[in-house]
Amino acid sequence: MEAASLPVRHQRRRGRSLLRPLAFMAAPTALLLILFLGPMIAMLVISLQHGVLSGDSGFTLSNFTDVIGDPLYRDVAWTTVQIATIAMLIQLCIAVPIAYVLAYKAGRFEVPLLLFLVLADELNPMVRIYAWRMLLGREGLINEGLQRIGLIDAPIDALLFSKFAVIVVLSTSYLTYTVIPIYAAMKAVDKNLFEAARDLGAGWWTTTRRVLLPLIAPGIFVSLLLVYIPLFTDFASPTLVGGTSGYMLGQVVNDLVLETGDLNGGAAMSLLMLFASGIFAIIAYKLAKIRQLET
Amino acid sequence: MSGATAAAGRVPAADQPPVAHRRSLGSRIRRHLPGIASVLVIAFAMLIMFGPVLMLALFSFNDSSIISLPWEGFTTRWYDEAWSTPEARDAILNSLVVAAVVTAGSLTLGTLAAWGLTRLRFPGRGPLAGLHGSVLVVPWLIIGVAGLIFFSESGVSLSLTTVALMQLVVTFPLVVAIISAGLVRFSRSVEEAAIDLGASQGQMLRYVVLPQIAPSLAAAAIFAFAWSFNNFEVSFFTGGFEQTFPVWVFSILRQSENLPMVNAVSTVIALAQVIVVFAGWRLMKRLTRDRGGDKALTELLTGGAR
Repeated sequence: MEAASLPVRHQRRRGRSLLRPLAFMAAPTALLLILFLGPMIAMLVISLQHGVLSGDSGFTLSNFTDVIGDPLYRDVAWTTVQIATIAMLIQLCIAVPIAYVLAYKAGRFEVPLLLFLVLADELNPMVRIYAWRMLLGREGLINEGLQRIGLIDAPIDALLFSKFAVIVVLSTSYLTYTVIPIYAAMKAVDKNLFEAARDLGAGWWTTTRRVLLPLIAPGIFVSLLLVYIPLFTDFASPTLVGGTSGYMLGQVVNDLVLETGDLNGGAAMSLLMLFASGIFAIIAYKLAKIRQLET
Repeated sequence: MSGATAAAGRVPAADQPPVAHRRSLGSRIRRHLPGIASVLVIAFAMLIMFGPVLMLALFSFNDSSIISLPWEGFTTRWYDEAWSTPEARDAILNSLVVAAVVTAGSLTLGTLAAWGLTRLRFPGRGPLAGLHGSVLVVPWLIIGVAGLIFFSESGVSLSLTTVALMQLVVTFPLVVAIISAGLVRFSRSVEEAAIDLGASQGQMLRYVVLPQIAPSLAAAAIFAFAWSFNNFEVSFFTGGFEQTFPVWVFSILRQSENLPMVNAVSTVIALAQVIVVFAGWRLMKRLTRDRGGDKALTELLTGGAR
């Protein structure tokens, strides 16, 4: 704290060395190099090798061509895209009104409601899947309840172990991550714009469509970026509530790796899914950026 | 609920007083419609987010081995059964231990990397930031499978250790993101001022930086614990004989019908998570007291999303 030492301090930037960055970055980077890049490279190598049983050695693309050429997997891929897209659209339809209420209407309830959103994320996903399974089953609460009121005579079997069930579970599972980016985008909107729109004679719908939606579009793309890829690669929900009609790509990977023991095929399928996710992520990221520049 | 309506009515009035005066009786009725709609939206959100779990909790007290109507009476026997099932207790204990280790590790590595990436200048900083960010983009399913292949190729047997290591890999970059967002929001000039006024590096970190990033640290700790505790994909593929809680629930549900005992365990877990989130919120409020409490919390959430 001595005054004499003050001028000397200004020189501290000159003597920068690589020692301090190294001290901060060495451990995190080492972990990622060994246990993130390492496994990724191992997976790539395995995906390019012949299976142990085939007896061939050397590199091949046959794992990829086998996976791509299989019509069964193409059907599953189509189902997966369908389920993930429908679930994503439903989530956006639910999330935009929630974000709107949170950002503009909730007043002093804003923070408690945000807390509930955080809580929804913290609740164990497996518990949530189980809860839905309990509600949707043949003897589940929805079927029993509807029968008791007399709305239906026989239980609706299609509620559980179907595409429908997977969509229901998935559409409610990532709401936190869908709402919060949209909410953040709404918070950043200048409220005077709404007033200006109203003064210029725009109705509620026109204001929403022409003013609000373009401004929150970046938030929507961030939501897509965060949520669509986990939906696309989900494996627990379709396994527990999907039955045969709700069979998704994540299950193909699991079945190849753990059931049939085809590590090479499973690795190839994983990499193809990663590739698809990567392309999706780049598009969503670009869209989110472009919109930000425009606004 | 009426409070929400009142608040909804107050917001526009505060923003543009002249318009509020011009309102006729008909438009005053219409003015309450958005309030009612808001309450309905929130009620629907609550129903789909928490309704199923509440029903699950309710039926953990139903005295019937079939989880459905009719209500057969109140019982706590499923809790007794859960308590005397060693697999259930082990799974929860395993998850708690792994989550504690992963949280501590994530906070340490995450803070180091966040500081290095936001406050230091060195060659290769861009690619390193990209490496940390890329972990967040790769789906957990694929990281899990890759981990399984890596460990089986290198002859490491799967155990809770491999689970904790792989969870650390996917969790700490999230902590880096949260803490970096906290660090970026504060100007470096305060830190430089502290140094110029004679503070040592340690004093500067302790008295200037720590109070600023304390809310981020608290939030990161809560999220890291939850992400680790809830993590299914990575634990499923890189786990050995010892199961974590989500893996245990998954394996039970895959093999059998719904079991009331699982309801009981799930209820306890969900209740604990409610308490953790609430306690975390109180803690955050205390940490951000001088900066407007709740406002800081919303900033943290929205900042993290950006």
